[in-house]
Amino acid sequence: MGDSSPFYRPLTKENLKQIDQTGRRILERIGVRIADSAFRDILKAAGAKVDSDNQRVRFEEGWLDEVLGRAPSCFTLYSRDGKNDIHLGEGNVYFGNGGRVFRILDMSTGGYRLTLLRDVANTAALVDKLDNIRFYIIACQAHDIKPANYHLLDFYYALNHTTKHVMGGCDDLHGAEQMWKLASIIARGEERLREKPFVSVITNPISPLTIDSETLEILRFCVTHGIPTTCAPAPIAGATAPATLAGTLSQMHAEALAGVTIAQVFAPGAKVLYGAVATTMDLRKMEFTMGSVEMGMMNAAAVQLAKLYNLPIYASGGVTEAKRPDIQAGFEKSVSSLTVAMTGADFIHLTAGVIDSGNSISYEQYVIDNEIIGMTQRVLQGIKVNEDTLAYDVIEQVGPGGNFVAEEHTINHMMDEFFYPNLQVRCNFDIWEEMGHPDMLSRANELVGKILEESEEGLLDVDLIDDIKKAFSGSQYI
Amino acid sequence: MNEFEALEEAVSKGDIKTAVAETQRALDAGSEVKSILDKGLIAAMDKVGDRYSKGLIFVPQMLRSAKTMQECMKLLQPLFQEGDVTSKGKVLIGTVKGDLHDIGKNLVGMMMGGAGFDITDLGVDIPPEKFVQKIQEVEPDIVCMSALLSTTMPSMSRTIEAMQKAGIRDKVKVMIGGAPVTEKYAREIKADSYASDAGSAVSKAKELLGIL
Repeated sequence: MGDSSPFYRPLTKENLKQIDQTGRRILERIGVRIADSAFRDILKAAGAKVDSDNQRVRFEEGWLDEVLGRAPSCFTLYSRDGKNDIHLGEGNVYFGNGGRVFRILDMSTGGYRLTLLRDVANTAALVDKLDNIRFYIIACQAHDIKPANYHLLDFYYALNHTTKHVMGGCDDLHGAEQMWKLASIIARGEERLREKPFVSVITNPISPLTIDSETLEILRFCVTHGIPTTCAPAPIAGATAPATLAGTLSQMHAEALAGVTIAQVFAPGAKVLYGAVATTMDLRKMEFTMGSVEMGMMNAAAVQLAKLYNLPIYASGGVTEAKRPDIQAGFEKSVSSLTVAMTGADFIHLTAGVIDSGNSISYEQYVIDNEIIGMTQRVLQGIKVNEDTLAYDVIEQVGPGGNFVAEEHTINHMMDEFFYPNLQVRCNFDIWEEMGHPDMLSRANELVGKILEESEEGLLDVDLIDDIKKAFSGSQYI
Repeated sequence: MNEFEALEEAVSKGDIKTAVAETQRALDAGSEVKSILDKGLIAAMDKVGDRYSKGLIFVPQMLRSAKTMQECMKLLQPLFQEGDVTSKGKVLIGTVKGDLHDIGKNLVGMMMGGAGFDITDLGVDIPPEKFVQKIQEVEPDIVCMSALLSTTMPSMSRTIEAMQKAGIRDKVKVMIGGAPVTEKYAREIKADSYASDAGSAVSKAKELLGIL
């Protein structure tokens, strides 16, 4: 990647510096609120300034830089089969889906329903088969399972249906422990999991400037067990952050750096991504928005902020407010994905499957987004210019009035130069009529049916499943 | 094992140099011209056509194979006996009077040439009398007319009328195409066939000549 630089840079060097400095000032003077005194004590012992009366932890500049310096600038989020390893910090842009929604647009009934465990399996199977979606985030809540084995089951169903890297949120420390134990069995050993982690965990501070104790417990557990994480702030401009984009960015930057810093206190060298889920509020009626153009711009700016510290970024993009895969979904997602991708974000989540401002998913949207991402990736590849691609010789050979269709040069380059979509209608009008006027949704629905039919069987070995059953009691869903 | 396996593979891959060398080798070894054609070249093109219709290869690869076959044919042609069929049929193609557009017409000509038809391309802005004169001269099996503009479409009808007046309408099949042209219009002006794109022009032409 990178032939088409310079990429989109929403912030000038001077603006970038101003936002960074404001973020650092927030950390040094205002600080973050951590209610749990045990965690405050740990941070104090590590060198943070702690004001226990106000539950504040402040980060002085010198100390902040010293601790941030321990964070790795590149690391890998592994896939289980080695085919989709995510190499962060090396200039690549990877796209993935987004998670923990509660509702699905179910095309088999045409209506919306609550999401179930089988939706985790199905979305994992879709991501597994869709080439441009490179990692899987546990896509939805499973309303049909109880809290006791929740994260055993949602991670199990995900890992049983895709070999791509699986990332998810954990509700509590117990859930994180279950997830780790499960992944260790599948890795056939804790050390092997630590060496090549194929699962990672998303945690979030609460904007503005608050980190919950349970979040810190999960974060600490993960980083001390070699599980990559992000502590990704999700400020809403105009609601939980200032109405100015620069203000929201400054606050989010402080929150994101706090997350990375605390992770490095827990485990120096911990694999942690700078997190960014900057969103906006439509203040006309207080409607939460994730498909706004400003969300794309802020997540693009966040890439610049993360790169100031050489940190890989977990950015967000490609969401929509639309309730169905429709025209609005198409353009909101395209603009957003492209805006963030063109800054060179390492890892962009939410770009597949999510509709309804992050509340719903649609299987069809997964396969449609796979196409949008494909086009976006083509933009990032840029235009390759060299002696061969300039094609003087073949232009001379064909000469005026000829054509290039059957030239060897054409055959040599036709696979690399063009993005070939699967679903976009490109046939001529007559053929389109003969085919019964297919549209994006009908074609997407067909492809979903095909993929899910082929993916009914799980991917995990039978003996692994036996080991998992033995390790966990009451896991009747496995 | 097919004695022309190497030739077949070279044609499938569109490797002109190897295919021509293999053809020469087969001739030198005393193989019959007819069996080189049938078991080597045509067998290869059948496979290529099959792979294309299954979506396994792209148009340029198919055309490249066709071009390879044509190069091999140059060696065989002088050796053919009377009665050996070497072309699928003769096609005369042109954009009608008043119309200077030629991309669609060129694509059709290219695809038909690739499929083994013998193409004579008259170019653009061809008046009815020129079509008539060339039909008499070339004696094609099919005449293809193209128009991009709704304003030049009537030239198609006038060309057919001119063919009737000259008494040659029955001697050829007429196929038309172009963005504004429809199946319905083809029926109205009594053309024999209409093709909506370059790919279907080939299958329509084969249909017209009964060589499916």
